[in-house]
Amino acid sequence: MIIFKNITKIYPPDTFALKNVNLHIQPKEFISIVGRSGTGKTTLVKILVAEEKPSKGRVIVGGWDITDIKSNEVPILRRQIGVVFQDFKLLAQKTVFENIAFALQVCGANRSRINEIVPQVLKIVGLAGKEHRYPIQLSGGEQQRVAIARALVHRPKILVADEPTGNLDSINTQEIIDLLLKINEFGTTVLLVSHNREVVNYISKRVVTLDNGQIVSDQKIGKYLL
Amino acid sequence: MSLNSIYQIIIFAWQSFWRNIWLSIVTITIITLAVLSINFLIVLNIITDTATNLVKEKIDFSIYFRQDATENQVLEVQTYLSSLAQVKEIKYTSQQEALQKFREKHQQDSPIIESLEELDQNPLGATLVVTAKEIEDYPEIIEVLNNSKYNDLILDKNFDDHKVYINKIRKISENINRIGLLASGIFIFIALLIVINTVRVAIYTHRREIGIMKLVGATNWFIRSPFLLESVLYSIIACALAIGIIYPLLNFIQPYLNNFFLTDDFNILEYFNKNFWQIFGLEVLIIILLNIFSSSIAIRRYLRV
Repeated sequence: MIIFKNITKIYPPDTFALKNVNLHIQPKEFISIVGRSGTGKTTLVKILVAEEKPSKGRVIVGGWDITDIKSNEVPILRRQIGVVFQDFKLLAQKTVFENIAFALQVCGANRSRINEIVPQVLKIVGLAGKEHRYPIQLSGGEQQRVAIARALVHRPKILVADEPTGNLDSINTQEIIDLLLKINEFGTTVLLVSHNREVVNYISKRVVTLDNGQIVSDQKIGKYLL
Repeated sequence: MSLNSIYQIIIFAWQSFWRNIWLSIVTITIITLAVLSINFLIVLNIITDTATNLVKEKIDFSIYFRQDATENQVLEVQTYLSSLAQVKEIKYTSQQEALQKFREKHQQDSPIIESLEELDQNPLGATLVVTAKEIEDYPEIIEVLNNSKYNDLILDKNFDDHKVYINKIRKISENINRIGLLASGIFIFIALLIVINTVRVAIYTHRREIGIMKLVGATNWFIRSPFLLESVLYSIIACALAIGIIYPLLNFIQPYLNNFFLTDDFNILEYFNKNFWQIFGLEVLIIILLNIFSSSIAIRRYLRV
């Protein structure tokens, strides 16, 4: 369970990114956070992965209060939360396999573990057989799949997707959303940040709408309101 | 930290080293210059010490006794002087020995030998050659002797004040040392700045990887360590290069030093061989520590983990 309790985030001197946000996300839930640009969606994600600290309030992830998390505990948290972004964040000089393996290498995994896990996640995201290609040789959708595969290598309980379809055409968008839904079906909590009306309406799951840093709507099976 | 992590850290450090190879070369060059300048100071100190010791060894003073001073009286003076704490050694030359030495010295000079033959008795007195423990002790010994009851037995005292030469050598070496220290200090300071900049550039070059590492949960130490290791790598390569330059240089200057000191006993190469670990081990250690220090500054400043 993820709990945002009375979260306020102020960027100096007096810019409110989030105002008194209260949000409970159940395990295995698929939740879409929607809203216009600059409404605090990404700030919420940053607070969840401990990239930012809230100015007020508390954040609890799986019973762990991460509000005042120590810097040496951040990596432990981040191995439990997979994150994908709009710009994929892939390393151009590494192959698909190497990009995914990189996430395991930097956490001290040995070669046999890497050789076991990487093909598994490649299969999940539907990229089996393309492991030796470089990002530039892949479509945008495929690149995002690599990013998702990389986010899955630590078998996270939560997957955060911050505008994952922002750079994709409609076909690739559809594929990525289907993939996120499939991952959610496997039991991973998925937190999707998006301002794409079609995407959110297609998913037909919980939708939380943010406006000016505040939650203005929280629908169990929601639609894009703004 | 697991063995796999250590292996990965080494790989990342190695990649970073090659990715910014020109920057690595500049960094290594300046560290090498710093190490060379430190070794230049060491060589200079050895040469100064040797020169000072050589001059010191040649210092003594001779007491020439009157011709009528008996052997017993001379030996009494020897015993008296030996009791002084400042005296290291006294060599006694009897009247006969002095004459014999004189003859040997002027063997080829027949007029001198002939005039010596014409004399009824030995014209030379006994001699005591006194060596003091420290160069500063000579004036004191002379003073004690002047005020003693034995002063009347003495014909002459011969003391060349080599102190002036020693002071000159010291003064010159102190000046060179000061300039050398300043040069070393500047080189080390520049080296530190360059290491900071190199690590900064390395961090900038790797900003994407670093971002991903943070994203996927690499530990702070895992992210920092390759940069620290890279600076250790610079230190080791620079010191190895400096050693590779110093030895041929020492070989080159050795004959000149032997000529200068007029002795074959002094071997600077042997000194470096004997004290290899004390000199280079310590230098490598200090350079590594300094580089770790400067790269830590760069990491703290530019690497947000």
